[in-house]
Amino acid sequence: MIVFENVSKTFQEEVEAVCDLSMEVKDGETLVLLGTSGSGKTTTMKMVNRLIEPTDGRILVDQVDVAQQDPIRLRRNIGYAIQHIGLFPHMTVGENIAVVPKLLDWKKQTIGERVDKLLTMVGLQPDQFRDRFPVQLSGGQRQRVGVARALAADPPIVLMDEPFGALDPITREELQNEFIELESELKKTIIFVTHDVFEAVRMADRIALLDAGHLQQLAAPAELVEKPANEFVDQFLGQHRFQLSLLTRTVKTVLGEVAATAGEDKPAARDARLHAADSLIEALDTFKRTKESVLPVYERDKFLGNLEKNQLLDIITRVLGETEED
Amino acid sequence: MNTLVAFFEKLGGEMLQRAYEHVYLVFLAMVIAIAIALPLGIYLTRSRWPKLASAVMGAAGIVQTVPSLALIAFIVLIFALAALPTIGTLPALVALVLYALLPILRNTYTSIRQVDPSVIEVATGMGMKPHQILFSIELPLSLPVIMAGIRISTVWTIGIATLCGLIGAGGLGDLIIKGLRSIQMDYLLAGTAPAAALALIFDWILSGLEKWLTPEGLRKNGGSKTAGA
Repeated sequence: MIVFENVSKTFQEEVEAVCDLSMEVKDGETLVLLGTSGSGKTTTMKMVNRLIEPTDGRILVDQVDVAQQDPIRLRRNIGYAIQHIGLFPHMTVGENIAVVPKLLDWKKQTIGERVDKLLTMVGLQPDQFRDRFPVQLSGGQRQRVGVARALAADPPIVLMDEPFGALDPITREELQNEFIELESELKKTIIFVTHDVFEAVRMADRIALLDAGHLQQLAAPAELVEKPANEFVDQFLGQHRFQLSLLTRTVKTVLGEVAATAGEDKPAARDARLHAADSLIEALDTFKRTKESVLPVYERDKFLGNLEKNQLLDIITRVLGETEED
Repeated sequence: MNTLVAFFEKLGGEMLQRAYEHVYLVFLAMVIAIAIALPLGIYLTRSRWPKLASAVMGAAGIVQTVPSLALIAFIVLIFALAALPTIGTLPALVALVLYALLPILRNTYTSIRQVDPSVIEVATGMGMKPHQILFSIELPLSLPVIMAGIRISTVWTIGIATLCGLIGAGGLGDLIIKGLRSIQMDYLLAGTAPAAALALIFDWILSGLEKWLTPEGLRKNGGSKTAGA
């Protein structure tokens, strides 16, 4: 667990980057620091691995004040991935991933096995990619290597500073989805910095929205979207409210609203199915892709009910109405 | 053909001897210049006072603007005032080292400074110590540019070293001066041609070394960043 206790950071005695921030990042959770540039989100993240030292307050990692720890040892136990990739251009993909394990004096064979395992995990064929250089990779492949490198020594905590920021929207979404899947298996504690509210909603267990160094709201994505804590949060979400609602509302919540008509049916015998945790956008995509008018909803293997395309469209229209009222 | 044979019979031995002296002088000057400029350049990138770097670089630049003949004359005068030997290898070496410093110093300093800050930051964030960052990140990435500085410096020094014949430091300059004093073309050629050849050969060898030392991952990017000078 990472605990921020009244943390402040002032640069050059005048610029207040972070102001009296207190919050907790729970074990295994992905906490997204969201904000515009200058909101203090990156500063907040960098204080965890002591790339920046707080002016005031303290940060505890597993109950130990990071200021009391040797920064070198601390950093080797915290994964770190940044935008602009930061891959070492003179090292091969394998060497890049092996940096921290080498610093930790792992055995050569263990490192080799770990590199191959990580490459496979991020969807790159080890035999094909291990000995390539960063210049020989596409942007998406580099970011995959960046993620693999951050996970190399299996650190319990990973800090990520807009790791998918430099990618085109399609590759970015692809990597986001893969990372969400990966993370659900790995259960790392992740602090993820982004200015992209959609990315935040997709990736986060909880979002900490910052403005000018002040924490505005700390909440799960759905809560942030549905119940903005103040005017700033409301404005920050602004015109994206409708799309964000479609992202944060799941098929399961919607199914409750239409249960009277759908609940008792047998599963519409179809190849395709909706998952309870799917967002409304994903559900809409599935309807579009399968060209079905009714789809069964499952939670794991449990059938919950059928959802008609028209019902979904009605609800989406209603959400549009709700968000326009504000 | 006969004239060529006669030329080598008359001057071949001396040419070899002078060329050897020349290379020896240049080699010594380069070793000393690298030993000073490389650590100094690295130190300047780490110095807390950015003005120090520009001051040192400025000083080295001023030395470079002084005509080489004048620089040698100054050094001889200063040596004379300090009661040091004014002829021979020592004053020549001092002049050559002063001249050779700048390209190496400047290329070392700027190439390390130009390493992508995000690369350094991520290295720090991964828990590398400063010396590990220097030796496994910054220097390998800067090596092509530093080598270019050393190459340029060497080629200049080979040319300037001919002037050292003036103060009795030997080398191919000796032959050139002899030719000038006695108005003999063959002596002049016997000094000039090997000096030019040496410059070309060293340029060729050192650019080969430069390419060979360029990390593979950078080579595919189209080689070194800037060639310096």
